[in-house]
Amino acid sequence: MRGIVGFLAPKLLRALVAVWLVTTVVFVVMRLSGDPVPLLLPPDAPTSEMERVRRDLGLDRPLPVQYATFVGNALRGDFGRSIHFREPAWSVVVRYLPATLELGLTSFGLALLVAVPIGMLSAIKRNSPIDQAAMGVALVGQSAPTFFLGIFFILTLSLGLGWFPTSGRGDWRNLVLPALTLGAFSMASIARLTRSAVLDVLRQDFVRTARAKGLPELAVVMKHTLKNAALPVVTITGLQFGTLLGGAVVTETVFAWPGIGRLAIQSIYNRDYPIVQCTVFLSAILFIVLNFAIDLLYGVLDPRVRPR
Amino acid sequence: MASSIPVSVPADLGAAEAPALRGGAGARRTRRLVIAGGGFVVALALMAIAAPWLAPHDPLRQSLRARLAPPTMQASDGKAYVLGTDHLGRDVLSRIIFGARVSLTVGFAAVLVGGIIGAGLGILAGYRGGFADSVVMTVADAQLAFPFILLAIGIIGVLGPSFPTLVMVIGLSGWVGYARVLRSQVLVLRSREFVDAIHALGGSAGRVILRHIVPNVLSSLVVVATLELARSIVLEATLSFLGLGIQPPTPSWGVMVQEGREYLDSAWWISTFPGLILMVTSLAVSRTGDWLRDLLDPTLRGE
Amino acid sequence: MSQLTRRDLLKSAATAGAAAALAPALGGSAAAQTTQKRELITAQSGDISKLDPHFSTSSNDIRISFNIYDNLTSRHPDGKLHPGLATEWKLTAPTTWTFKLRSGVKFHNGDPFSSADAKFSIERTYDPNAKTMVATALATIDRIETPDAGTLVIHTKKPDPLLPARLAFYGGQIVPKKYLESAGNDGFNAKPAGTGPVKLVSWTKDDKLVLAANDSYWGGKPDFDQWTMRPIPETAPRIAALLKGEVDIIVQLPADQGERVAGNATTRVVGALYAGLYVLAVNSKRPPLDNPLVKQALSLAIDREAIVKELWRGRGIVPSQPIAKGDNHWDPSLPPLPYKPGAARDLLKKAGYKNEEIFIETTVGYLSNDKQMSEAIQGMWKDAGVNAKVEVIEYSVRAQKNREKSFKGVFWSDPTSTLGDPDGMMWRLLGPGGPQDYWRHPRWDELGNAARFSVDEKFRAQAYKEMSTIFFEHFPWIPIIQPYEDYGLQKYVDFAPNPNQQFEVRKFNLKFKRA
Repeated sequence: MRGIVGFLAPKLLRALVAVWLVTTVVFVVMRLSGDPVPLLLPPDAPTSEMERVRRDLGLDRPLPVQYATFVGNALRGDFGRSIHFREPAWSVVVRYLPATLELGLTSFGLALLVAVPIGMLSAIKRNSPIDQAAMGVALVGQSAPTFFLGIFFILTLSLGLGWFPTSGRGDWRNLVLPALTLGAFSMASIARLTRSAVLDVLRQDFVRTARAKGLPELAVVMKHTLKNAALPVVTITGLQFGTLLGGAVVTETVFAWPGIGRLAIQSIYNRDYPIVQCTVFLSAILFIVLNFAIDLLYGVLDPRVRPR
Repeated sequence: MASSIPVSVPADLGAAEAPALRGGAGARRTRRLVIAGGGFVVALALMAIAAPWLAPHDPLRQSLRARLAPPTMQASDGKAYVLGTDHLGRDVLSRIIFGARVSLTVGFAAVLVGGIIGAGLGILAGYRGGFADSVVMTVADAQLAFPFILLAIGIIGVLGPSFPTLVMVIGLSGWVGYARVLRSQVLVLRSREFVDAIHALGGSAGRVILRHIVPNVLSSLVVVATLELARSIVLEATLSFLGLGIQPPTPSWGVMVQEGREYLDSAWWISTFPGLILMVTSLAVSRTGDWLRDLLDPTLRGE
Repeated sequence: MSQLTRRDLLKSAATAGAAAALAPALGGSAAAQTTQKRELITAQSGDISKLDPHFSTSSNDIRISFNIYDNLTSRHPDGKLHPGLATEWKLTAPTTWTFKLRSGVKFHNGDPFSSADAKFSIERTYDPNAKTMVATALATIDRIETPDAGTLVIHTKKPDPLLPARLAFYGGQIVPKKYLESAGNDGFNAKPAGTGPVKLVSWTKDDKLVLAANDSYWGGKPDFDQWTMRPIPETAPRIAALLKGEVDIIVQLPADQGERVAGNATTRVVGALYAGLYVLAVNSKRPPLDNPLVKQALSLAIDREAIVKELWRGRGIVPSQPIAKGDNHWDPSLPPLPYKPGAARDLLKKAGYKNEEIFIETTVGYLSNDKQMSEAIQGMWKDAGVNAKVEVIEYSVRAQKNREKSFKGVFWSDPTSTLGDPDGMMWRLLGPGGPQDYWRHPRWDELGNAARFSVDEKFRAQAYKEMSTIFFEHFPWIPIIQPYEDYGLQKYVDFAPNPNQQFEVRKFNLKFKRA
């Protein structure tokens, strides 16, 4: 029991710190820009409404009280009313969330499905043309800026070959290019990591022993690598959520995908700050929850952490 | 207290398999690669500096008659546009050349800002230890994997896009690497081994620091700075693409890709060329950083 | 070759109000496409902001509001005034118009239409407490009487021959008195009720607006059961939707893309010379825009020919005056606004211009080519030595600034000539108390007022001529182009565009070609 708690506690702490960090930055930035009330209300709002918001935010109180009020509101999901949509910011953001989740999960699934086998193949056929090509593409995938990758795919696969639509959300065809774009970095990272992990395993003694026994290479690899490479892959997977979430903003903008990333950007143009705040906060929470889940999963997998 | 991965996961996913030892064939090859990569950065910087003389046209000059011209030696206004023109008839090549200025200026400035903040916090963490150290390192960890672009949006969305805000935000997104380097060095300086070493080697702490510590720190910082430069350039382009960074009509590669979006089906060159050079730059600079790391400080791997 | 054919067609269809249907590039293989569909799907570049017709005159809104509501009189695409909720009207005294109202008409909520509603609607527009956006549209009215449910008597302050025309446009939409009074403005905006050919079903902001046909419409049920309007702000997806057949009609087709739509087998382009102008309206209260010399310089520094030729592919004319071609009293002797960058630079020096920033606040796609024109003009102004900056703002932000009159410099506007007369355009918008009241000039105001109430067309012509002259000195607007506004249609749609941006879906104007 000690093992798990000792393992999870720092993770939880890190997660909470991240939430606090995000909340504080948002708070500070809002105050930095002057009086936040005009930012949060439509311009034709009556003065009574302005006074109410002022009181709700505690703007007439000292700064620490304001901060506490802000955090309290945030944890309750109260970010005020969207100026553009004229309904609570939270309900708007939650409405756009499923699209982002759909895109994120698909990208991630695609990345895993493609990257792991390719990584393994590259490791087994190390230094072959396949390996070189795969790792070359992975390199490009990791350094290419997401937005340009998206544009590039639109140019070649959509406008050029006409295989896929250029934008929007619809049937599975609309999902392919955005998922490819968003998943590219993860795909590349996971492929390279899998290759390294498998190579590591292949070098180990028990593999040589198995080979000496005459067992087929593939069986050896499959049985042992999967077990031993699982851990690092899971770890790197956790790190990918950050990339996916951040990349979603760009990918959704490029493909006009109606998710919270695009919502955030459009809300900035619309000067709809309640939505901007809410989106940033919700994304942070989402990221932290997902990461925590991964940490938990990791704890389950890593024999050192599990209770005996 | 780095990332809590007990298994030896090679965080550097780009290394050649055999680590480059100081000296030997691996190191020689890596040295050549570093020179090549570094040469690219220098060439880019030179191009940026010499932009007014290199660029065939004024990057801001419009020529409506020659708008949306494909790469040509003779457009409707009689002039040559090697990479074509955009929707206002501005020369794509000239804008790319001047765009290098923007990318490198923002990139280097952000690296500087991040470096100063990071070094400061790292020294603080290493020197004070205890609570300060825990705080700094926890914040560092929290920030590391978090998609900084979300925070960037939140900040720039409220404060409005401007050059100082942009540099600040990008700089802030990358302080962690420097902090770690400085922190470890400070810890070394405070360690008993170091104190013993001074006695053993004889002479003042000052000389030891100068001859051993400083070069070590510098080389680590150079590696971090190079990788950060690559990341900053891409982040600036991304923010500019989203409309949160450099504002048109100033040519930034990210802005140019954005401007060309509407014309992907009719004038693909407007988005493609700046995007390609961005990709090449990002690749070259980040690889140089990787090779530098192999060459100078393999201990930075797995961190 | 097809380019030439189109251009020739344009030249011959130069009268304002004439719809110029462009022949498809491949020599019109006229196997007329047909359909059985009963749903109309349209796309425009922005969502609506209000369903209450008196609170917005934006083209995104009026395309819908003129179909939810009826006016007493109705301007059809042919340019003529037709009966609406009024069946006949007569000038019964020098300052009195009498309208006979249509009987048996019901609002969408079931309330019967009567003269009380008409009186209420009209008075609401200029009621200072209501604070509508159309306060000056019907400001010539003095008082209204309702001798019986089917008759409306309107007394104007001075003789107003244009009153029936005024009632056909903004501000003249008729709303139900009883319902609005009980629901209040917000309630009414959320659940509107008019007498028009369509009624609101649902509105999902930035996604779609769904309207159902009014089966018992007095003008006959429209040729569809349901109308869905999708706001698609970006041009490429909007056109793609048309080309793929997902949408029946798209609005704001940029000239750049016209050939693609015309050349496509299933679609075609129709356009009309806009009964109005695209201008950069000036917030003349902000220095240095309060200096007439600066504004004159700004106008001289713009190469409008290049803009029309390159950004609009020739689909438009360079304006010569603040009156739209096709309106009464348009003066054919005035030359197009000139391009003299040298003179502009001199004027700036004379004006004492000290390199202050001049902002162009533009939306993207609210007016066709707005952003592109802004950038082109910024380049031209920079060449003339002006410290010009382009700022992109979202449509809703623009609407906000419009209401508060808080623009930073110049901004795009597409003043519509609502009466076929300068009174309905420059006077309506720039006059005192109007929506673009940023600049006043006593002589100009005097002339505008006098011309409004005069029945002597010779006097009016003189007055407007003098107003134009004053205009060229002060430029409260910087006119840029009088464009052809193009629409993209599926070939099975029969639809005539209205030069005043109304989007007419009543069955006399919009039909599906059925087998």
